[in-house]
Amino acid sequence: MQLDQLNLNYAAIAPEIITSLAAVAIMLVDALSKKGARTVNAGISLVGLALALIAVFGLRSVGGGSFFAGMVVVDPIRLFFSVTILIVAIVATLLAGQFLRDEALPPGEFFSLIMFATTGMLLLAAAGDLVTVFLGLEIASITTYIMAGYRRYDTRANESSLKYFLLGSFATAFLLYGMALTYGATGTTNISGISAAISGGKVIHPALLLVGAGMMLVGFGFKIASAPFHLWTPDVYEGAPTIVTGFMSTGPKAAVFAAFLRVFAEGFGESASPLGSQLHHTWVTAIAIIAVLTMTVGNVIALVQKNIKRVLAYSSIAHAGYALVGFVTGDFGPVAFYLLAYSIMSIGAFAVIQLFARAGDQRTEVADFAGVGFESPGLSFSLAIFLFSLAGIPPTAGFMSKFYIFKSAWDGAPTLRWLIVVAVINSIISVYYYLYPIVVMFFRPLAPGFIKPRVSAMTAVALILTLLGTLYLGILPNRLMSAMSSSNRTAVVAPALPSSQVANK
Amino acid sequence: MNLITITTFLPLVGAILLLLLSLRGGDQKESNNLYRVVTLAVTIITFVVSLGLLKGFDGSNPAAQMVQKTPWIGALNVYYHVGVDGLSIWLILLTTFLMPISVLASWHVTKRVREYMLFMLVLEMGMIGVFASLDMFLFYLFFEITLIPMYFLIGVWGGERRIYAAIKFFVYTVVGSLLMLVAIIAVYFYAGHTFDIPEITAKLAANPALIPGNIKTWLWLAFALAFFIKVPLFPFHTWLPDAHVEAPTAGSIILAGVLLKMGTYGLMRFNLPFFPDISQKAAPYVMALAVVGIIYGALVAMVQPDMKKLVAYSSVSHLGFVVLGIFAFTDQGMQGALYQMLAHGISTGALFLCVGMIYDRRHTRLIEEFGGVATPMPQYSTMFLIVSLSSLGLPLLNGFIGEFLILLGTFSSPVPHARLFAVLGATGVILSAVYLLWMLQRVLFGEVTKQENAELEDMDLREKVAIIPLVAFALVMGIAPMKFLNSTEKAVSAVKEAVVGKPAKVAVAPAPAANPTTAGHTEAGHGN
Repeated sequence: MQLDQLNLNYAAIAPEIITSLAAVAIMLVDALSKKGARTVNAGISLVGLALALIAVFGLRSVGGGSFFAGMVVVDPIRLFFSVTILIVAIVATLLAGQFLRDEALPPGEFFSLIMFATTGMLLLAAAGDLVTVFLGLEIASITTYIMAGYRRYDTRANESSLKYFLLGSFATAFLLYGMALTYGATGTTNISGISAAISGGKVIHPALLLVGAGMMLVGFGFKIASAPFHLWTPDVYEGAPTIVTGFMSTGPKAAVFAAFLRVFAEGFGESASPLGSQLHHTWVTAIAIIAVLTMTVGNVIALVQKNIKRVLAYSSIAHAGYALVGFVTGDFGPVAFYLLAYSIMSIGAFAVIQLFARAGDQRTEVADFAGVGFESPGLSFSLAIFLFSLAGIPPTAGFMSKFYIFKSAWDGAPTLRWLIVVAVINSIISVYYYLYPIVVMFFRPLAPGFIKPRVSAMTAVALILTLLGTLYLGILPNRLMSAMSSSNRTAVVAPALPSSQVANK
Repeated sequence: MNLITITTFLPLVGAILLLLLSLRGGDQKESNNLYRVVTLAVTIITFVVSLGLLKGFDGSNPAAQMVQKTPWIGALNVYYHVGVDGLSIWLILLTTFLMPISVLASWHVTKRVREYMLFMLVLEMGMIGVFASLDMFLFYLFFEITLIPMYFLIGVWGGERRIYAAIKFFVYTVVGSLLMLVAIIAVYFYAGHTFDIPEITAKLAANPALIPGNIKTWLWLAFALAFFIKVPLFPFHTWLPDAHVEAPTAGSIILAGVLLKMGTYGLMRFNLPFFPDISQKAAPYVMALAVVGIIYGALVAMVQPDMKKLVAYSSVSHLGFVVLGIFAFTDQGMQGALYQMLAHGISTGALFLCVGMIYDRRHTRLIEEFGGVATPMPQYSTMFLIVSLSSLGLPLLNGFIGEFLILLGTFSSPVPHARLFAVLGATGVILSAVYLLWMLQRVLFGEVTKQENAELEDMDLREKVAIIPLVAFALVMGIAPMKFLNSTEKAVSAVKEAVVGKPAKVAVAPAPAANPTTAGHTEAGHGN
């Protein structure tokens, strides 16, 4: 293989380079400065994330195509998901300052962990090769395992971290095994190479490919917390510090969805060969079934939860199910929009809960929120808007994204329209448990022991950002939707290279 | 700028104004008064602006007028598309007319006045938006937006069982509306990727086979369920008494006056023109449910010990008339239905206002707690009497015209068994006289039996200002109905013709044709 065929282009991985450099810089600053310089660290993080965001937009001038021997691709999926990931990281960083101060936790590592996790997630979204998928996934996962247990003295957090680690490793093993089998069947780990091998009829052992794809489906299913692979989620989400829960239920989920989409919708996409179409049909059916299970399990179990973090944990499962409904069409636009909307409203909700719950997550029972509505109207109405949005009530991001998913599924998957009906019935169920905290907040008398939360400036900025995002996506989604709709994608990233190049290597 | 758009978003501007005003701080009591006055001013201005719609409206044109169509979400082909026609114009005016009265009725609210008024204004925006929308997506959006403020109004400012009532209200409505959302997406898809209501109506009229027959039935049901729950048609009515009883007075006025009309309006806007053949097939069943609702609502109202619950059940009965008229598929029936929507908004709104006034004084609504109220409160009693008479359909008052037209239209309707339904429905008129007059007799007339009632104060100026416009309007609508009927005639005929086709040359005579049943059947045959 010639060196120029590797197509090294550092601009194509500029966002990842920036975030990892920022992570290292934070570690250095933290080691060199005596006192925990929280503000400096937060500042470095924010600058790094802002630069990464600029670099993501800069990818458009790099042009579409694959780089580093097909390890990394530049395409609309990467662009949209990278923006989502960076928004989540920015909000998490803004929230981290107050969290670390209130809990008196060491600040340096936390910020660098966020940055490393972001690097991993960006890499996942950029992956053009199963090896990169694995690399990104591991970087993102290991950092989030540590973040989940960041409150070392807290047994719940330890349990959460350990459980997350064990089950996460289990899922990774599945994924890795699936990748190995797929490699064995197709002779390549490159995603477009796999696609070319399938449509070109070059698969060595068709059965191996099916098993490999199935194992990857399980692995990804674990990571996005879809039923029946969701069992780790509620305990992990409940035990982790609330802002970590907010972070890991949004960012990594979006990033894994990006890789999931690329491997399945592109690698195992519709193809002319009989094996390809059989594989495509099988995984679409499997995902449809998983979507139904995920939505139903998430929503029904959420109904009986008493702890608000568990409610949102199950809601997070349910939302993965709605996103999977969009997945069956293979069109990533609605899925990407959905995850952006979900990430913004969900992390916003967790941010408010973090404030009400106070240091150490003392007050996370739904009953603890009784009567806070008019005591802290700003926070309570924000939480109400996030919850209405999660329930899919207009004019919020949650409604718009659900509508977009349903519409695309109706158009794109004529045989699976019943999925929409299932999703709608699930939305109806979900209304009840999203409404309940609002009932408690506004309609009940004040619970004893309530102390009006103090909101730091950075937290306020994070809340305003998420709130405006929720309403912006709900009222004026046009720009984003137009950019994401399939017809305009070439305008977002013009292909710089013929895509067949990678397949020829 | 388009007048409809201004009318729709003026309340929102008012809501933002309230938020800005709250920044200035100051004395609680003083600011509360400021919020009330500002809200009242905003609602009055909105009403005055909405009167401009009448001026530009041409009743002889069945199409939507004063239209604004601006691209909104290009990726979904959604437009900001508003306009008024004969179906919607009076409902918009009813909304803007009832709002200042509702604000006046809420003057005694002292709990969280700013939030209360904020929700009222957002609610007004949503309601106007529902009637003005000519884009299905926009319609759905406003339809749902009305839910949130009403939910808070009941849940925060309601009575004892307010939480139960608020959740029930929300969940019932959402069940219907989310299924409608699927139907909206389906219609969008089959009608060639458009949400535009006039365009879809025209397309489906030109080619009824655009939507496969089997799917059409499901879509009809999805739309109908959403609207039946909202109306509410028997047996979907159970949320209504709870919501009404627990809601604050203004909430009840708006709920009965406007929100329920969103259901009957939706039936006329979507179910009938989109799916004429299914509507025809369903008509006997819907009419049967409507008649059951009329009689059941009236009978249950009769035995209510609580005045507010009585009025709530009377709404079930009266809205049954509206549905009966809509599914009669005759000019009189449908015109009457539309007229009854307005009349019911006025008279039931006024009834809730009267109940609210006496509740403010005695903090009870139980009929047995009263008696001989006419002695200490003569003016109040006169108003209550007029309002009740208008509700039970006394000639020269508004309720009579609507019910009469509906029964007339139903009697000559082409729908099978329509005559039977008309006869049965007519008993509802009698029953409504029974329960209303009986209540009046027990509350207003006779000796003052309880000491607490002897010293009740009569209406003050604020209360008079609130009730007199309603009573005046009830009279105007009863004496000069043609002004209203003329302006709605064309739009209603258009809906009717969409269902049963244009009348054959022979049947042009104003009196019902010799055998309307067979005539209707042949026309239906053309439709298929």
